Amino acid sequence: MEIRPILAALMRNKTGPILVALQVALSLAILANALHIVSERRAAAARPSGIADESAVFAISVNHLRSDGPQQELATRNREIATLRAVPGVVSAASVGQLPMSNSGWNTSVAVDRKQTRESAVASTYTAADSLVQTWGMTLAAGRDFAPGEFMDLTSDSRETPRAVLITRALASKMWPNQPAVGKTLYIGMGEEAMGIPVVGVLERLQDHNARIDERGDYSIIIPIREYGANGGATYTVRAAPGQRERVIRDAEEAVRKASPDAVILNTRTIDELRKSRYRADVALSWTLVVVSVLLLLITAGGIVGMASLWVNQRRKQIGVRRALGARKADIVRYFITENILITSAGVCGGVLLGIGLNQMLVTRLEMARLPLGYLLGGALVFWALGIAAAFGPAWRAAGISPALATRST
Amino acid sequence: MFSYYLTLGVRSLRRNPVLTALMVLTLAIGVAASVSTLTILHMMSGDPIAHKSTRLFAPVLDNRPVNDHDAPGERMDNQLSYIDVGNLLKSGQGVRRTGMYGIALVLEPPEKSIAPFWTEGMAPTRDFFAMFDVPFLHGQAWSEADDTRGADVVVLSRKMAAKLYGDANPVGRQLRLLDAPFTVVGVIDTWTPQPRYYSLQSGNKFGVSEDLFIPFATAIRHETGHNGGMSCSTRTDGGFQGILRSECTWLQFWFETGSSADRAQLQTYLDNYAADQRKLGRLQRKAPNALFDVPEWLVHMKVVGKDNKLSAWLAFGFLALCLVNTIGLLLAKFSVRAAEVGIRRALGASRNDIFRQFLTESAVIGLAGGVLGLLLAFGALALLSMQSNAMAAVARMDLPMLAFTFALSVLAALLAGLLPTWRACQVTPAIQLKSQ
Repeated sequence: MEIRPILAALMRNKTGPILVALQVALSLAILANALHIVSERRAAAARPSGIADESAVFAISVNHLRSDGPQQELATRNREIATLRAVPGVVSAASVGQLPMSNSGWNTSVAVDRKQTRESAVASTYTAADSLVQTWGMTLAAGRDFAPGEFMDLTSDSRETPRAVLITRALASKMWPNQPAVGKTLYIGMGEEAMGIPVVGVLERLQDHNARIDERGDYSIIIPIREYGANGGATYTVRAAPGQRERVIRDAEEAVRKASPDAVILNTRTIDELRKSRYRADVALSWTLVVVSVLLLLITAGGIVGMASLWVNQRRKQIGVRRALGARKADIVRYFITENILITSAGVCGGVLLGIGLNQMLVTRLEMARLPLGYLLGGALVFWALGIAAAFGPAWRAAGISPALATRST
Repeated sequence: MFSYYLTLGVRSLRRNPVLTALMVLTLAIGVAASVSTLTILHMMSGDPIAHKSTRLFAPVLDNRPVNDHDAPGERMDNQLSYIDVGNLLKSGQGVRRTGMYGIALVLEPPEKSIAPFWTEGMAPTRDFFAMFDVPFLHGQAWSEADDTRGADVVVLSRKMAAKLYGDANPVGRQLRLLDAPFTVVGVIDTWTPQPRYYSLQSGNKFGVSEDLFIPFATAIRHETGHNGGMSCSTRTDGGFQGILRSECTWLQFWFETGSSADRAQLQTYLDNYAADQRKLGRLQRKAPNALFDVPEWLVHMKVVGKDNKLSAWLAFGFLALCLVNTIGLLLAKFSVRAAEVGIRRALGASRNDIFRQFLTESAVIGLAGGVLGLLLAFGALALLSMQSNAMAAVARMDLPMLAFTFALSVLAALLAGLLPTWRACQVTPAIQLKSQ
């Protein structure tokens, strides 16, 4: 197949081919980046939180309108957790201070040595009065869960040091790389006032309360304390038997209301709701980008079809002459397809450069991730295929042009 | 001649409806994508209090301990400690000043038939209402005396008043908050500045507004917890009182000056205040004390998200694609009319006349694309606003954006039409007349 005559013909009338190549280049650049962002966001939204079987777990916040003092508050909380555990269908319940993916919680600076001036990491701090490992079904990578004697109830001005701490594996490898973390002392804060707490276990995974995308999203600690006395609300996390979550929620709310002598305000959230709400913007962006990508492909395909049809029309006489001189239908089709491949290739080259350039702008200005070359290569293949598919129709019509056209003078 | 070109243009477009439809659709989609993302960006970065935005200032002080290293972007030092807010309130600087923090309270309605429920509110000092031009429907802000001693008074939002009292004027009525009877002293009219520039740290930046307001001193007296962020660099003594005595930052503060020229004076005051505090052993880091007016504050707090900027960029890339596509389609369309152009030129039309004719045709496509693009943009904005309350507040077309849609569409069409039109003008009449 002679490339040079096709190339020469293209060079003579450059405008059309340039327009098509430009469309392919722009589409490829945008498509590669858009699909990369979609895949990143989807991956982020699919990250496990550390809670096993999230659809069975929910959290219920209880606020009392009247308070009879700190001791009464403690008694009320113990009564409430007992009430929750007694609801049929409740597998496990725990009193907890914050929830993953909730965008609400506390971060604390942690260190390996009291004398540090710079923290080792910032960790999301979960407090619990019961076993979260059990209620949330978390896996322990090393060590053990809290022992019953390690839980403490503290008022907010208490200076007592917690007796144990659970940390996540990511935090353990950050703070004590290549060493077992169990048995080490974790310091909350630094300097004279820092609290040193022994690490008793390492959790496989527990996301922070913001479900951050960066490495800090995996740094969490659980401290076995319960703060009381400020008449804040209490939050309890409950695991229901599989498939019974809705009924258990209704029964639990009713049970807590009935068990309380005064009015209570309840606020129930399921882990599924928290996840959906946390990633709503990312999912919306993904869908927008998918729609844009589909439109990109359609518009580019339309542009190629349009241009190819125009060229076929403009070269009717030329095609007729070629057929009269002995070219077969297949030769004509091959000519147009080859022409299209040449133009698309030029467009793809430009698109790869544009795509890298666009990605560079996104990385520097908008702190997005770098584009793996695979997306550009995949995109190139897509556009080659698209180009051939789009040009096939007009090429086939060109092949249908009768050789008798060559004999006509018009 | 213009109306003649217009007629010619419309007629030629009608001759090939499929091609015309394709061109209009491509242009419309490109315009719709760009306009909807740009509208969101425009609403997000709009100045919410234009007539005053350079006279309102938010101070930022660095009260972290000397040896504290930055955790980049983590510490919410955009807020102030109770000690600093107390001092700044007493300073008398500026024409007015206000300190505040976001609160979440359980409200017990007077009607026993409505169960108690959570509300989100603000606890500012009384200058808040005058400073931010909050309109009142009934009553007014609480008095100076109530403000100083922390009386149990409350100002309700219009929506909350309607929920509790219907259409009646509730001023003077009582309801229970924080386990105490509060008297309603005022009801504000609908007030939803986007973004919520006065309090970007507590709660959402868009699409959310307060249900009620109680005096700052009242919230402190009742030891009400904050509904927002708090950053403590050292351990506190414990309890609410411990937080008040500590260097934890959790409050917001605004100055209002007489004119934007008073900024320098305010900055001097702030620097002197920090120096004085240093003598008392606080603010040891000697970091610069910053003042932000409203536009600077919005940039500093990164109100316009990265995702919105990303969407806008991609939309404009998409528009560029649609433009190139339209150039190709117009080229195809104009090139088949070489004979028509040849005859017109032979009959005496100048190149300019041909240019104007075809450009008018492009403009007609631009207008049609603009109308369709506007409809599509409305649809896109409606879809986007379903995402969340925050989105619904900003995904709204206003008059300037409407005009911009048409301008963009016509401009894009004219730009796209330049090359094909120029090509059409190059037609040599003689060759066209020769062909049989």
